[in-house]
Amino acid sequence: MSRLFSKILIANRGEIALRVIRACRELGIKTVALFSEADRDSLHARFADESICIGPPNSQQSYLNIPAGISAAEISDAEAIHPGYGFLAENPEFAEVCEASGITFIGPQSAHIKLMGNKIQARKLAVRAGVPIPGGLDGLDDPEEALHGAKKLGFPVIIKAAAGGGGRGIRVVHSEASFRTAFSMAQSEAGSSFGNPEVYVERFIESPRHVEIQILADHHGNIVHLGERECSIQRRYQKLIEESPSPALDEKLRRKMGEAAVALTREAGYVNAGTVEFLLDGDGNFFFMEMNTRIQVEHPVTEMVTGVDLVKEQIRISANMPLDIRQEDVVLRGHAIECRINAEDPEKFTPNPGTISFYYAPGGPGIRVDSAAFESYYIPPYYDSMVAKLIAHGRDREEALSRMQRALEEFVIEGVKTTLPLHLRILGKMKFRKGEYGTDFLDKMLS
Amino acid sequence: MEMKEIREILKLLEKHDITDFTLQRGDHRIRVRRGGAVFEREVAVPVKTAPSPGMVPPPSPVEAPAAQPETLAVGEKQFVVTSPIVGTFYRAPSPESPPYVDVGQTVSKGTVLCIVEAMKIMNEIESEVNGKISAILVENAQPVEYGEPLFIIDLA
Repeated sequence: MSRLFSKILIANRGEIALRVIRACRELGIKTVALFSEADRDSLHARFADESICIGPPNSQQSYLNIPAGISAAEISDAEAIHPGYGFLAENPEFAEVCEASGITFIGPQSAHIKLMGNKIQARKLAVRAGVPIPGGLDGLDDPEEALHGAKKLGFPVIIKAAAGGGGRGIRVVHSEASFRTAFSMAQSEAGSSFGNPEVYVERFIESPRHVEIQILADHHGNIVHLGERECSIQRRYQKLIEESPSPALDEKLRRKMGEAAVALTREAGYVNAGTVEFLLDGDGNFFFMEMNTRIQVEHPVTEMVTGVDLVKEQIRISANMPLDIRQEDVVLRGHAIECRINAEDPEKFTPNPGTISFYYAPGGPGIRVDSAAFESYYIPPYYDSMVAKLIAHGRDREEALSRMQRALEEFVIEGVKTTLPLHLRILGKMKFRKGEYGTDFLDKMLS
Repeated sequence: MEMKEIREILKLLEKHDITDFTLQRGDHRIRVRRGGAVFEREVAVPVKTAPSPGMVPPPSPVEAPAAQPETLAVGEKQFVVTSPIVGTFYRAPSPESPPYVDVGQTVSKGTVLCIVEAMKIMNEIESEVNGKISAILVENAQPVEYGEPLFIIDLA
């Protein structure tokens, strides 16, 4: 029988660091928090059993500083590191240094992070696993040759960076005339942003839905999928609202997409929690986009409908324990929605750091708030602007929506501008209420 | 200290909502308190959080000594050497060798003061000032965090 860890270091900040601390407490595992000088008074530094300052506010020198993170794990005798999401979560080098230092990285192996980090390699893997991908071309560096291929695919096409992902390094080209310039610019942008100029071209899917499948895979060959998350409410490829189940999926399509995600996971030999992202067109065809090798921001909606604690599962899997759920045990109960509340101007989306002068988080039936904010908390300008994740669960979509609506109305955050009013506007839209929306919904609503 | 300076300080304290502030320059010392909280904090010293029983650590009077920030009084002609990295503090290059520096020893810019080991790499920490070691604040082989004060040097 495997043994759980006695101490875990959390290489992250904010609500996700708190989320991991909560899982550890429930499992009886001691925690070590890392913090930068800007986060000395933050909740993750206060709630962990131990906390260590690892650098100045700038994340390059603190939360992204691999030697500092490893050194902190060594001086605190932590056996494992949970990277959360963002920062070092999908950095194969960090996972590799953990492996070399004898510290368990709570996530997949570095080789799998690297594999999924290269979107061209991931596409090839999908093909081997029999998972559909959008028509496309890769291995191109000559614009003329690429143009020739793009014409065959038919405009509009989408140019993506091989090392991109998460919505970064994407360019939509509507006509032949602008293709050459766009292709060269995409290459140089990819080179400067990701250190790899490789790009690929895909057929552009008109007004698709973004639907992703949560998987869990252990070291003993067991893989389950935990249904989908609908993440089509996005602004500039950044998700704002997520829900599970998706209004667009029926049981048959859910099973098909779930099986595709499991096949891809199995083909890769991937272990731990992961998310397989798909684009879904209006005719029920789905196409592999990418696999995220971390816990996702929107993981709570899956937790609410499945009753599975994904962070605890990640820890158990890393401790070599077998999954104790089988596919037939996974049942989606009711409906869950998450709104990401950011400290941003709700119209212009400019970040709004500052001190929260008054804070009241909603509660009551079916409401969950994952946040590291509190009254008098200063939101530092160095990190991302998310203040809270508000999650509503109900026995059906209708009830989840009404709970979300009243919870958004109850939520009070003063002192900084937030996206609370924007969420209320979205919830007021008939198309959203009916579940008839794609990734272009928000852009259309705001234009 | 001029009134103008004091006014500036008060404005800053209010802006950043600081409740207690002490500034010492030679013989001059100013302490400002706003609201009810009282604790001494003359130099920002890393706070080692003690294991707290609940999720919200209330400032319980029993636990107060452990949770309070350490106080470090530093004079105007003194310099605090802080750790530039997280790691383990060593006073000597090896267990057999004598320490790099002792209290009372004169040091100059570039004098090696100690080692902070991080990920099996020995990082020599050099003095940035000329002066005399007034205090060594960390025990040999102790873990240190980023920004933790290691030495106080009386400036030459």
